[in-house]
Amino acid sequence: MALSRLRSIALASLVFAALLMAALFITVEAAPPNQSADEGATLFKEKCVGCHTIGSGKLVGPDLKGVTQRQEKAWLLSWIQAPDKMLAAGDPIATQLLKEYNNLPMPNLGLNETQVASLVAYLEGIDAGTIAAPVLPTAAAVPEGNSVIGKELFTGVNRFQNGGPPCMGCHSVGGLGALGGGALGPDLTTAFDKYGGAAGLVGFLNAPPTATMNAVWSRQPLTADEQANLMAFLQSATATERPVEALVPLTVLAIVGALILIVVAQLYWRKRLVSVRRAMVTRSRIS
Amino acid sequence: MDIRAQVSMVFHLDKCIGCHTCSVACKNIWTDRKGTEYMWWNNVETKPGTGYPTLWEDQEKYKGGWEKKGGELRLKLQGRLGALTNIFFNPYLPTVDDYYEPWTYDYENLFTAPEGDDQPTARAISMITGKHMEIEAGPNWDDDYGGSPVYASNDPNLEALTDDEREQMSEIERVVFFYLPRICNHCLNPGCVAACPAGAIYKRGEDGIVLLSQEKCRAWRMCISGCPYKKTYFNWSTGKSEKCILCYPRLESGQAPACFHSCVGRIRYLGVLLYDADQIKNAASVPNRDLVEAHRSIIQDPFDPQIIAAAKANGIPDGMIDAAQKSPVYKFVKEWRLALPLHPEFRTMPMLFYVPPMLPVLAKIKDGKYDNADVASKSLAPLLSSLERARLPLQYMASLFSAGNDEVVAASYRKLIAVRIYMRHKTVGDISEEEALEALRAGGTTAEEVEAIYQLTAKPTMEERFVVPPLAREVAIEQTIDPFTRKREGGFGFRHAPQRGG
Repeated sequence: MALSRLRSIALASLVFAALLMAALFITVEAAPPNQSADEGATLFKEKCVGCHTIGSGKLVGPDLKGVTQRQEKAWLLSWIQAPDKMLAAGDPIATQLLKEYNNLPMPNLGLNETQVASLVAYLEGIDAGTIAAPVLPTAAAVPEGNSVIGKELFTGVNRFQNGGPPCMGCHSVGGLGALGGGALGPDLTTAFDKYGGAAGLVGFLNAPPTATMNAVWSRQPLTADEQANLMAFLQSATATERPVEALVPLTVLAIVGALILIVVAQLYWRKRLVSVRRAMVTRSRIS
Repeated sequence: MDIRAQVSMVFHLDKCIGCHTCSVACKNIWTDRKGTEYMWWNNVETKPGTGYPTLWEDQEKYKGGWEKKGGELRLKLQGRLGALTNIFFNPYLPTVDDYYEPWTYDYENLFTAPEGDDQPTARAISMITGKHMEIEAGPNWDDDYGGSPVYASNDPNLEALTDDEREQMSEIERVVFFYLPRICNHCLNPGCVAACPAGAIYKRGEDGIVLLSQEKCRAWRMCISGCPYKKTYFNWSTGKSEKCILCYPRLESGQAPACFHSCVGRIRYLGVLLYDADQIKNAASVPNRDLVEAHRSIIQDPFDPQIIAAAKANGIPDGMIDAAQKSPVYKFVKEWRLALPLHPEFRTMPMLFYVPPMLPVLAKIKDGKYDNADVASKSLAPLLSSLERARLPLQYMASLFSAGNDEVVAASYRKLIAVRIYMRHKTVGDISEEEALEALRAGGTTAEEVEAIYQLTAKPTMEERFVVPPLAREVAIEQTIDPFTRKREGGFGFRHAPQRGG
């Protein structure tokens, strides 16, 4: 009797606990997206200003003034969420935009649904006039750069003030050294033209929108002078191909280096065991 | 004093007929897997000869074992710094050609060859590449003096002989050879264990068997160079090294190892030795001449109450001590001083001992007849003095079994001769008592001892040859794993199959 009562109490508390857990999960799941325009403003400064302005003309990407009236909201939401997927799916608007903007695709910003909704709410607010358009740095505000200093920064001869890694670690520029630079990031030989000159680049460098660049530079940003010098260098670096002459010393260097290594290894391991049985048999046959 | 137990071995070379049954028994059980085709954990060599792998005794080439440098015992292979700089390239590895390229035959062709004028043949196929190959060498290529101008004449032990002696050996009526079966020596001071950068090789506590963990091995292959007997092998398929395990699964169930059990000539003896581990370093460091004596001296008397107490204090079970008291190995090595270690100058303190062969060494031909056949009809007395005129110079045996100290080998031979003469006196009666007693005196032995040696050499029972101790593996492992769990899991084959990259 006592046992069965104990059992029913246990069962009841178990059911209660299960319900409580379910309620918790349901609350989390059912919470409406937080369409906060404030969050949208912050996100815009972090993620968008590299390529977009609102009312100050186009940079790498289009001017976003009036975008919520130009495009449908559903399209905007899915575009910001996953531009790479929409391009891959061959969305007509996306394909048209890509052609218009130097074939530079909009990167996937890795935002979640709530964040996308906040961004769209922010853009809608601006278009409706309830929120002031942000004031963004423009090319005019960037001081004149020195391409020599820029090159030193790019190659890492001089370090960045905030400790960022030299560009050459990941990027290459035509005509820079026999071996060029890193191959992790894209070749930057034509970056200046591709990004629409200083106006486009300054936005990009201020807040790099791509995942890799953002991860590296958001914690150790470039100073305004550094940006100017780098842009000056990128502007001057217009050689499109590595000169053929550079390949000759490179080849010679490689061969000489390999030979030196072989000789050193031969010397270091000169007493190594090469062959015992075959050598013995050969020696015996000769004698 | 740190008394430990070791399952050790004696091979009586006078009884070896070179039939390779031991090798085949071992191969069928342990090395018939992919990647092990070229391995012979047990092999039989003809001596003089270059062995397997070719010239394995030449440590100037292979850098195996230990050497004394500035009074300290050092691996001949390399020190710690050398191990680091050579970690990705061990410069003293034998190539597969130094072992031999294993092969099979294209038997399929005998059945499937298209009709033609000639008999189809089964060509040799490499078991490594799977392509047709020309056979140039094998694991016992120089067996029974095959190819002796190349192989036998390059035996490193012949360097101990004078030119005259070497010249004489090739005379038609002096030509002589004997067999040398070899397995892992399960050394007290193993070079393989010392050379392993991964710490994968260990000497099992309860019985001294040297094992190579297939889980810890990282394929640096330093053990292959570190072992002067070349008894660790690299499995190219699993990427792990392997070696003789003294058939420990058989030992644990009370059976002798497969090569011992299958031996046709019954040359093999197995038993426990108690030794003092504290003395290993000193015994391995003495000058070459004293190596055999030092080796014998660290083997302890299993009947001495003090030793028994020390052994028990070290956790050696009663069954092990009992086995040590009955051990045929103790008799041959320590009591009778007949059996000798192979190449003690490598200083690894091998725990496999050999009774040197007598007949091939002493039997001489005179006027077209066996000298001792002639001698036996009258008297065996000349046998006593014939040691100095042996067909195979004593210095050769000393180079093999006593690091060049021919007195040690001679003492062993004198006692073997005494057994022969005394037993002939007793059973055939054509030798006078004075002569027999003279032989006993020369051999430094007594009639009782000779009888005992005769009994264990000629007429031992299986139980006398193999005194397998009760290896209470379940007791040894119970601190780390429940013996019943181990029993359930430890079936046939690998518990965790070794794989490359694992």
